[in-house]
Amino acid sequence: MEIIENLTVNEKVYKEKLENGLTVMIIPKKNFEKKYVIWGTHFGSLDNEFVLPKTGKTIKIPDGVAHFLEHKMFEQENGVNSLDVLSSLGVEANAYTTNDHTAYLFESTDNFYEALDELMDYVQHPYFTDENVEKEKGIIGQEITMYDDHPGWQLYMNAMECLYSKNPIKIDVAGTIESISKIDKEVLYNCYNTFYHPSNMAMVVCGDFNPEDILNEIKNRLVSKEEQGEIKRIYPEEPESISKKEIEKTMEVSNPLFMIAYKDVLDKNENKVKKHIAIQILLELLLGASSPLYKEMYEQGYLLNEPDLEYEFSNEYAHVLISGNSKDPKVIDKRLNEQIKYLIENGICKEDFERIKKKIYGEYITEYNSISEIARMFLADYFKGICSFDYLESYNTVTLEYTNQILKDVFVEDKKVLSVIKGNN
Amino acid sequence: MEEIRKEIKKGITVHLIETDKFKTNLLSVFFTTPMLRENVTYNALIPAVLIRGSSNYKTTEEINKELDKMYGAVLDGGIEKAGDNQVLKFYLECLNDEYLPKQDNLLDKSLNLLSELIFNPQVQNGEFNKEYVDGEKEKLRQIIDGKIDNKANYAFIRCIEEMYKDKPYGLYKYGYTKDLEQINAKNLYEKYLNLIKDSKIDIFLSGKLPKDVIEKIEKLLENVNEREPDYIYSDKEENKEEIEPKVIKEDMDIMQAKLVMGLDVLSTKKDEKYVALVYNAILGGTPTSKLFQNVREKASLAYTASSSYLRQKNNIFIKCGIETKNFEKAKEIIEEQLEEMKQGKFNDDDIKSAKRSIISVVKCIPDEQDMGITYYFGQELSSSKMDFNEYTKKIEDVTKEQIQDLAKNVFVNTVYLLKGEDKNGDN
Repeated sequence: MEIIENLTVNEKVYKEKLENGLTVMIIPKKNFEKKYVIWGTHFGSLDNEFVLPKTGKTIKIPDGVAHFLEHKMFEQENGVNSLDVLSSLGVEANAYTTNDHTAYLFESTDNFYEALDELMDYVQHPYFTDENVEKEKGIIGQEITMYDDHPGWQLYMNAMECLYSKNPIKIDVAGTIESISKIDKEVLYNCYNTFYHPSNMAMVVCGDFNPEDILNEIKNRLVSKEEQGEIKRIYPEEPESISKKEIEKTMEVSNPLFMIAYKDVLDKNENKVKKHIAIQILLELLLGASSPLYKEMYEQGYLLNEPDLEYEFSNEYAHVLISGNSKDPKVIDKRLNEQIKYLIENGICKEDFERIKKKIYGEYITEYNSISEIARMFLADYFKGICSFDYLESYNTVTLEYTNQILKDVFVEDKKVLSVIKGNN
Repeated sequence: MEEIRKEIKKGITVHLIETDKFKTNLLSVFFTTPMLRENVTYNALIPAVLIRGSSNYKTTEEINKELDKMYGAVLDGGIEKAGDNQVLKFYLECLNDEYLPKQDNLLDKSLNLLSELIFNPQVQNGEFNKEYVDGEKEKLRQIIDGKIDNKANYAFIRCIEEMYKDKPYGLYKYGYTKDLEQINAKNLYEKYLNLIKDSKIDIFLSGKLPKDVIEKIEKLLENVNEREPDYIYSDKEENKEEIEPKVIKEDMDIMQAKLVMGLDVLSTKKDEKYVALVYNAILGGTPTSKLFQNVREKASLAYTASSSYLRQKNNIFIKCGIETKNFEKAKEIIEEQLEEMKQGKFNDDDIKSAKRSIISVVKCIPDEQDMGITYYFGQELSSSKMDFNEYTKKIEDVTKEQIQDLAKNVFVNTVYLLKGEDKNGDN
């Protein structure tokens, strides 16, 4: 096993790529009661068109399949639902789907190996019938409807609609009631057989483990599968420009919500982690709690809380998101724009830069407090081609000059959109 | 994980939780005071005003810059309801010194900063800083108005309001917008002085702690008076009786209706709270529970269907997100499940898995820094104190007979439905 150690945070990850192609990462945490395991496949809502590795045939699938498949994986041929089995063992099990991966997980204090049996059994044994696929449409339909009333989600989806013209990031992970109506068991089996191959998957365990022992336990539970070549994924060509500058929607909310977003393009050869760190620093400098603009907006009553500041990216998209509540989102938009221009012209103040860097350092270290956060972070970063320790490794390479350059490259007015959710009255 | 507890002055207690599991040290200060209609909005405002600025840190910007320099230490103030008490909470989380790139003493800095913010506010002529008070009033107004934004939580709050009409527990923890007009920098400061003088104070520290930390805290609180705190034990018995269930339906412009059913547990036997926890887990606490299985999985009526037990008030709340037209059907299925609990239609496996899920949650408490503090604070407010092992033992000892007995004393008090407005057409 490869051992990667980070002395700054004093943690180690043991990494192994098994013969069947599965990547396993083990992060031992002494004296913790909780054990966490998460098994993910590199299949998310973005993956809507691909070439079947066996036949070479290209297929296009309805929106929402990855998420639908996640729901259906729990059902077993003997009528048992694996979620129930795990729950009876007293472990907390769950699953989720994002735009680039799907993950199955549980956390336990007791019965870890029984639960691991169940997890690895159900993820490796799909059972779809016409009947159980039909039944799920009602449940997922309710889930989609629930998000219709979620102002934060609508705000985000509308921002994606403005940023992108073709990229499937603009499609809801769950799909629509219309799109899921087209899903049948053949589609599910096709996707399962393609994407749930060990070579397209990774597993992370975190807790009080001996790495060799747990690795063997995992190996013993793997079903052998024929080798499979790389999956060719087809994504629509996305222009660099945005699709629409602004969007506004009315919902039952007390205070308007805004999201200002910048579309970015990640170069294949670019250091994504380094860029991510610089953007985090920039966001804090622009509108973080200690920034002059936040102070001004707060004093004038335009912002009552610190906005959420984020750089979101996968292999297929990248954007900056600034969101919060404001009585007048246009004012925030305008003043932020002016502040960016000012910083580009005058450069970032060195003292502010060093101070914010300290803050970011603390955030990176604190991520290693929680077993579940560690495991989820390593899995999500893995599918982006990143080892989570890279953030601590690259931290010192982010200079003031580099950050000034990123400011000019990313915070471009033509690449900016504004999404607003307004109240009824 | 164990707690070292020391009452440094009457009514003021320091709790130390020594642990090396975390990269951070967490400092919390809680003020506990009875929940009263006339004070609720004032109290909700106080933590927010205090963390805006103090005598030595004039502006919020100065505080935030200081936090940045402390490697992104996180400061937070908030408000909670604990039984019939209102709790004002202050948190400061900072890195443990061993993870710093340069030598520093962040725990000392944290203690100094938090005690400065709480006990040394910015005051002129017997008033708080007016600008801060006005700003925070506006912010609180938006929080209160914003309770409609999260529909599921709003329905839950409304159900509690209806169940506890004109009682302390029915009050909204953030208070009421109509109170805000009367609040000014002067009367708020007066309320603050009373709070600092009379309420119960608990100081929690979790992490790798230096030996002399209690002395440091004692020194910082040198000038704070002793007190006879008037808080209410969170497990105080209440006289409840079976009532004709109230049904309340309200409209909102939403796609998915939210159903909340508030149940009373009318039993006062010893250790019944442990029985109620197991009862709740079987009814709606886990994915194998009756509600999840029957409302969601079998009837496909809802994406969410669960229940939770509120220990302090001996209530169970059932929550579902459904289509408005399925209200009667969902209610009927839920009532069937309550009936089955009474008839003892659950088996040993159900009990076993319910107990396992509760015990697992208890065992994980030491793995999350804030959970440890929340647990010990909960113990502090109840009249009986208990460690994790005793707690686990109490859960393990629950029998089927006890659960069935309890089931016969569970009654629906309030059915609350937040529904989409009836429109013409296919709704």
